[in-house]
Amino acid sequence: MPMILNYLYRLGPGNPILLRVVESGGKRRRDLIIRTAYLGILVAWVVAALITGGGTVGAASLDELAKTSALIFQQMSYLQLALVALLAPIFTAGAITQERDSQTYDILLATPLSNGQIVLGSLLSRLFFVVALLISGIPVFSITQVFGGVAIASIVMSFAIAAATAFVTGALAMAIATLKVGTRRTIFSFYLFIAVYLVGVYLLDGLAYFHPVLPDAAGVSISIERTGTSWFTGVHPFLALRVIFNVKGYAPPDLGSLPESLKSWPWSWYWTRPAGFYISSMFALSLVLVLPSIVLLRRVAQSTISPRTWLLQRLRIVRADRTRKPRGVWNNPVAWREARTKASAARASILRYGFIAIGVGGAVYLAWRFNTLRTDEVDYYITAGSYDPASRQLTVYGKELTRTYLLDSGADVRINGVEVDPRNADALNGRYQISFTSTTPNGTTLNMVTATDIQRGLSDAQVRTFLLGAVTVEFAVILLIVTNAAASTVTREKEDGSLDLLLSTPITSHYYIWGKLRGLVAFVMPLIAVPLISVTVFVASDWFRSIGPNADSNFRWIVFPEALLILPGTLIIVAAFGGILGMQMSLRCRKTVMAVMSSVGIMLGVAATLGWCGNVALRQFGRHTGLFNLILASFSPFTILTVLIDPYSFADAIFVTGPGPGDQAFAGRIVLMVFSWVSTAIYAAIVWAMYRSMVKNFDMTIRRQAR
Amino acid sequence: MGPVIKTVNLTKRYGTLVALSNLNLEIHEGDCFGFIGPNGAGKSTTIKILATLLQPTWGEARICDHVIGYQSRLIRPLIGYVPDYFGAYEDMVVQEYLEFFAAAYNINGSQRVKVVGDVLELTDLGYKRDAFVDALSRGMKQRLSIARVLLHDPKVLLLDEPAGNLDPRARIEMRELLKELRRMGKTIMISSHILPELQDLCNTVGIIEQGQLLYSGPWTDIVRKARGGTVLQVSVAPNPEGAADLLRQNPQVESVEHSNGFLQVSLKDGVSDPSFVSRDLVQAGYRLLMLKEEEANLETAFMRLTKGAVQ
Repeated sequence: MPMILNYLYRLGPGNPILLRVVESGGKRRRDLIIRTAYLGILVAWVVAALITGGGTVGAASLDELAKTSALIFQQMSYLQLALVALLAPIFTAGAITQERDSQTYDILLATPLSNGQIVLGSLLSRLFFVVALLISGIPVFSITQVFGGVAIASIVMSFAIAAATAFVTGALAMAIATLKVGTRRTIFSFYLFIAVYLVGVYLLDGLAYFHPVLPDAAGVSISIERTGTSWFTGVHPFLALRVIFNVKGYAPPDLGSLPESLKSWPWSWYWTRPAGFYISSMFALSLVLVLPSIVLLRRVAQSTISPRTWLLQRLRIVRADRTRKPRGVWNNPVAWREARTKASAARASILRYGFIAIGVGGAVYLAWRFNTLRTDEVDYYITAGSYDPASRQLTVYGKELTRTYLLDSGADVRINGVEVDPRNADALNGRYQISFTSTTPNGTTLNMVTATDIQRGLSDAQVRTFLLGAVTVEFAVILLIVTNAAASTVTREKEDGSLDLLLSTPITSHYYIWGKLRGLVAFVMPLIAVPLISVTVFVASDWFRSIGPNADSNFRWIVFPEALLILPGTLIIVAAFGGILGMQMSLRCRKTVMAVMSSVGIMLGVAATLGWCGNVALRQFGRHTGLFNLILASFSPFTILTVLIDPYSFADAIFVTGPGPGDQAFAGRIVLMVFSWVSTAIYAAIVWAMYRSMVKNFDMTIRRQAR
Repeated sequence: MGPVIKTVNLTKRYGTLVALSNLNLEIHEGDCFGFIGPNGAGKSTTIKILATLLQPTWGEARICDHVIGYQSRLIRPLIGYVPDYFGAYEDMVVQEYLEFFAAAYNINGSQRVKVVGDVLELTDLGYKRDAFVDALSRGMKQRLSIARVLLHDPKVLLLDEPAGNLDPRARIEMRELLKELRRMGKTIMISSHILPELQDLCNTVGIIEQGQLLYSGPWTDIVRKARGGTVLQVSVAPNPEGAADLLRQNPQVESVEHSNGFLQVSLKDGVSDPSFVSRDLVQAGYRLLMLKEEEANLETAFMRLTKGAVQ
């Protein structure tokens, strides 16, 4: 075999690292279970879709069958991508620690294997399982071909998007592992990053701001028509997948309809073929991420200091001599360790304070933008006190000068289209932009004044969307952080052996678990404060907006003030639920990775199910069952946040279009408040029961695992 | 006064594997008990049970008359346990590490500060109080482990291979520290594979193999028992092989082995006067270059008593 072919063969199919995994991996019981579950879900989905869609299957026309088939294909593609997005990080994140844990890394580096063989072997062996899953799903997808309606090209694109997602995830994990920028804890951060990216970018895509304005036929950007796809479509797997389904309203623009600035390559490619761009760019990015790993693998392994430590030392966050002034230890040392040593580790501190600064700063910025009236963009405006009804004098502020006019006694005065009497003391008492006409030659007497609200820095709808998105993501991140911290809290002590040291002291199980919980609460409280402060900032700003001479004439709460009574309890108790769930799994599992993955999975499942049920109840059934749906919505913190911040979009049946909206809205708020407290009490009872059970079974569980 | 540590038919099974089988031990106050045996013999399991970390499958273990499993809460303040690993905490400096465990033993306020200062001084770690524990050398970590178990002034120390993987200097320092603790009146149970050091440190030993206690008592007795009769090392010239044949004919000699020019002559039990060896050799015309009694030690006794089987 020519040398180059031999080299390529040893790099790929003949790579000993890959061969080891391919030969042994397929026979493992765990892999069999995951593969069976994956295919089971896909098959169950198809069968369920055929049964439900097919009240029509027996008798419907071919056209209808093709439509059903296309719908099933869409759903399965989303499901497949979601499963790949969920599984690929789990398998590839192992690359970060697995070699070091099993201490085979140094042995591999001491063999004649090239850097390329080691890096590609590790990467491909970890992706092997995910790729095998994808291939095993092909027969299930081919069922959709029976009825037609799905182009082969779409199926290929769907698989290519899933494969590109798996590859880029794996390459990122390998880069983190080989360049020593990660530690054991990186697994969680890596997973969190992917989850936040997928969810956060998907939400941002919903904002019109990220969809450029299309020029009209004359090539001038004065229309308000925006592109269907957004700036994120080409870099997000779910959005790219959406494009290949030709969803109405989410089609990429034609080249001809793009603004001039986006017509050049690569923008034109990015905008007109986002799915193709995603696939190509993700495979290219995988290559870019893998190359430095190949080049630097042995050089980085030889260094005595990791790039991360080097950077932290340069930033003077950690000291090179590995010393620090001791801190005082609390009387409950378990709580102290949980709250202080973990949270104050350099990386944790940076992330925590970063989270707090960004969260609170973002809320203050939003409130400031919302409360800033764009007076610089209007020609003339008035403020509270500008108009004196007794003398009928009106002081008008303009861009260049301030001038006082006399209002004619019969002047036509309108505020937001409503006619008002100029003799009325409250007429024109507020902050408005105005236009006016004068009857006198010198223009000092006005016979018509039209006042309208001055536009805000951010509109009411925009600020609700941003605020809701921010607090939702913040709380989701907090839930993941607390669940992860709790899930690793006991297993890590099992792994490093420090649990035995503690258990041989007089510390009791009650004291130990209580200490852990106390520590977790102390660790997570500053984080929970972030969404609470965000909401409080808006309640306070709303309150100031509603009073005083410049009070908003169309005042509506951005956040209902009862949020201050509901959210502290709800968010803390739900976070405590995440914590106790994580601890329970941490107690039962021997390995941190298993404990973290299982508890985060359960937490995500519970939160997603409750949130989805509440959301569906509010949006789809609200018209029929009214306030009852708010009771259902009260059991998910995410739907509670939704109703408190953006009820007009998510619960419009109750707060906007329902019968007697005023009464219905007030009653809705009361129902939400009362049942939020009820749900909080139920969560608290669950937490307490889990805590008691853990204390009771602690000794038995730990000793059963002891060797 | 009764024994400080007592086990009666102590048995521990892991599924079908019997890690300990009817272990009967007695260790008295002030004793330093060396627990020796091959890897997997059941030493760590015994120590873990005594440290209240494992429940026995059968039998009973007591510390200061408190029964393990039923009165573990009363036992824990009385013991100090050092496992065969360090059990490091991330992001903790030495003083925090000790304060952490002092708080676990409910030592608070100014007393905690004083106690931590005292043990740091005793273990010579005062200059390392600001250092991160995970950055300490192995020897330092072991000393820190000893410092940790001294915080609450326990009566009993359970040490599972505290000198494992230490360099010679650290091992000698560890041994001196343990001697100091013994002088302070602590009852020490220590498992180790470094037998000469145990011989130097302990007054009693127990030998365990495949979960069964082969011997327990003063180490001098075990050595005597293992050896049986007196063993002489003899160097003669010329023709050592002929000299070996000559000695084998003597009825007081059990066996003679010849290796590397030296004869190892084992006398029968009850033979107390070995002078006939030199007399016979000289009379037969051999030049006697060296004759000495073989030193009795724990290593030889261990090798003779155990078969090297592991579970």
